[in-house]
Amino acid sequence: MSIIRSKELVHEYIRRDEEGNVESIQTALDHVNLSVEPGQFISILGHNGSGKSTFAKHINALLTPSEGTIWVDEMNTSDDEYTFAVRQTAGMVFQNPDNQIIASVVDEDVAFGPENIGVPTEEILVRVDKSLKMVGMQKYRNHSPNKLSGGQKQRVAIAGVMAMEPKCIILDEPTAMLDPDGRADVLRAVHTLNREKGITVILITHYMEEVVDSDYVFVMEKGKVFMEGTPREIFKDVELLKEHSLDVPQVTLLAHELRKAGLQIPECILTRKELLDALSKLNLKRKASGVSEGFKVSEDTKSFGENVLILDHVSYKYSPGTAYEVTALDDVNLSIKEGEFIGVIGHTGSGKSTLVQHLNGLIKATEGHIYYRGQDIYDKDFDIKDLRTQVGMVFQYPEHQLFETTVFKDVQFGPKNQGLDEKEQIKRAYEALGLVKLPEELYLASPFELSGGQKRRAAIAGVIAMKPAVLILDEPTAGLDPKGRDDILGLIKDMHEKRGDTVILVSHSMEDVANYVDRIIVMDSGRPAFDGTPKEVFAHYKELEKMGLAAPQVTYVMNDLIEAGFDVDASATTVAEATESILKALN
Amino acid sequence: MLREITLGQYYPAKSILHSLDPRVKLFSTLVFIITLFSVDNVVLFAIVLVTLFGIIKMSHVPFSFMVKGLRSIVVLLIIAGLFNLFLTPGITIFSFGFLTISDVGLKNAVLMTSRMILLIIGTSVMTLTTTPNQLTDGLEKSLGFLKKVNVPVHEISMMMSIALRFIPILIEETDKIMKAQMARGADFESGGLIKKAKNMVPLLVPLFVSAFRRANDLSYAMEARCYNGGEGRTKMRPLKYSSLDQRAYICIVAYIIIFYAVKVVL
Repeated sequence: MSIIRSKELVHEYIRRDEEGNVESIQTALDHVNLSVEPGQFISILGHNGSGKSTFAKHINALLTPSEGTIWVDEMNTSDDEYTFAVRQTAGMVFQNPDNQIIASVVDEDVAFGPENIGVPTEEILVRVDKSLKMVGMQKYRNHSPNKLSGGQKQRVAIAGVMAMEPKCIILDEPTAMLDPDGRADVLRAVHTLNREKGITVILITHYMEEVVDSDYVFVMEKGKVFMEGTPREIFKDVELLKEHSLDVPQVTLLAHELRKAGLQIPECILTRKELLDALSKLNLKRKASGVSEGFKVSEDTKSFGENVLILDHVSYKYSPGTAYEVTALDDVNLSIKEGEFIGVIGHTGSGKSTLVQHLNGLIKATEGHIYYRGQDIYDKDFDIKDLRTQVGMVFQYPEHQLFETTVFKDVQFGPKNQGLDEKEQIKRAYEALGLVKLPEELYLASPFELSGGQKRRAAIAGVIAMKPAVLILDEPTAGLDPKGRDDILGLIKDMHEKRGDTVILVSHSMEDVANYVDRIIVMDSGRPAFDGTPKEVFAHYKELEKMGLAAPQVTYVMNDLIEAGFDVDASATTVAEATESILKALN
Repeated sequence: MLREITLGQYYPAKSILHSLDPRVKLFSTLVFIITLFSVDNVVLFAIVLVTLFGIIKMSHVPFSFMVKGLRSIVVLLIIAGLFNLFLTPGITIFSFGFLTISDVGLKNAVLMTSRMILLIIGTSVMTLTTTPNQLTDGLEKSLGFLKKVNVPVHEISMMMSIALRFIPILIEETDKIMKAQMARGADFESGGLIKKAKNMVPLLVPLFVSAFRRANDLSYAMEARCYNGGEGRTKMRPLKYSSLDQRAYICIVAYIIIFYAVKVVL
């Protein structure tokens, strides 16, 4: 007996004008048929707007079908009588950790569900205890959610669902807003629930690595299930997935490339171990001694211009002189050269965002000096407003800063503040919108009508329009799906190449950064721990792991191979480089 | 800069005050405020002051936390103090040019500012030792009788507790959007009143949009967890008076009697 079963499920979002006439109909779900067996770990993949979140809301009876039926534990969700029973059977965890915690203390929030369904008092306490233990958050039961990290908040949200003792838990992109550490913690908690308590899990995500361990995968596109099967069956067709710009784990991609090059490797490799086993069977060149030789790929060292920004012994403390003093930056010395493309990496709280906010004077260092083109930015006669136009800053989730009535006017905001005349403002806005490749018919639309990816581009254009010499982007790909992420990163690279400006990209995704930047600065506890080319930095992959960061998957594969005694290049950081190196090692 | 407001910030600790029933704390705060405004001589003032400091000592909350709440009203305090000091007629005790200080003025100024300071500290003792949820629970139960005249007490208290939960989040958000717009050259400081108000648009519009988005998300999250108003709801920690609360009520009554006895006698 299936726990969830949908038959010809259709959902239409209908927009009406003020008189109630239908203005437009958008089909979010288009005759979806699927079923989930009790105890399974299911993943649903798909782009933003593919209908996966809409489907999740149907399982929870937050939405009801326009056509067709969905049954949860044999209860028809359209039947009002069952609404609460359905929600109790299939609990739901949402994407944004902040927006689903209702109470101001952790345990009161976990109790919210059981209170609503009228569980007796003594029983609530037992359930809260149990649920917090399941997700490893019992230590925090008296804490305020505001003081928790994103990953911890998501685990509280999971505990909140578990306290209602559901049979099934639906997680709608629970890790989209988290850093790698938080993501791992949340996934571990979910897997434990599935394994030990037999809870059916439906994980909606666009991170492929999260899918690998599930029992069954549904891939959705345009409101339809367009692929389904075990992870192995899904990732078999790498070309098809790529065509639909869905990501594939790097290991799988590497195996696929090697197979294409004619190597005898089984189809569809999902883990490092599988790849290592497959490659071990091949006749790869062995090293004379097992010791790695370090870097072999001679890097073409690019030459850069003058120093644009210099940080000289910069320290920053939050609430200095109080008991709550936190050192966010600790004696940082850095120089940034004209034309460099830099990645700043670090986990949440490592000081990376604080660091970049110093560069345009939004935060003033408690100690030390910052020089922009040789001038001390803390000098009395230094024009800090001018600096902000020279060093452009795109914040995390920049689309949240859009405010004007049209996209075009919003992009004009920066140039207008610079005091440029109207003609120049318009010219700048046009150029910037062109650079971010936003379709021209959207220029006069309201920024709030755009899709997520489009909004982000419009917001980035708003900063570029000021023609900054240095462009800083704080997590520009956060919350985007793989396609949106590739688009934005490609765009940034294009702009960098076309205009030759200095770009600083803040991120916690090593894989994103490795493919694009010339130099990586790794921040840890307020200091730059490593600073060098991607190859130099990723050679320290073991230390990086200790900092809660991870090198790209291929770096691990290459090091696995070296440890097994093969003669490959340890410094390969991209799939293409790894493929080349492995093929070279082939006798 | 905006992060330091303590409003609705619960300070977790183990103390008698933390374990008291919120209704006791609400009632005692009310009593405290009434007595504070009945103070008209030094002895009474001393009684209020000593009681307050005794309570603060019992709360196990660092004193600096309570003073923090004062920072936001410093300007108000100074203005109110100065007005009282210079503009109250009475016997002149000091004069400098057109500025004169009268005896009544001096007394009023001191009384006024110290009352305000104690008021803020006294109420923050309550908010620091009571979670916003307990507080709203307390209000909900104390005002429960209003339900009979169709006042949606449960809904109001739910709204209050949600508001309290989201204040720190929205403050942080304001800080972020402000910085983002400043990075685009926005200016929130200079200019006259009208220009300043106009300059707030790039801050307020995104803030409202964000608040609506959060409200929408939250309503889904609440529904998903079977929220359906106050009917049939149970509580993890239902409000029940313990012997501790009874003793607390006795203390409060004793305090009232002592205070007004002294007031009548002097």
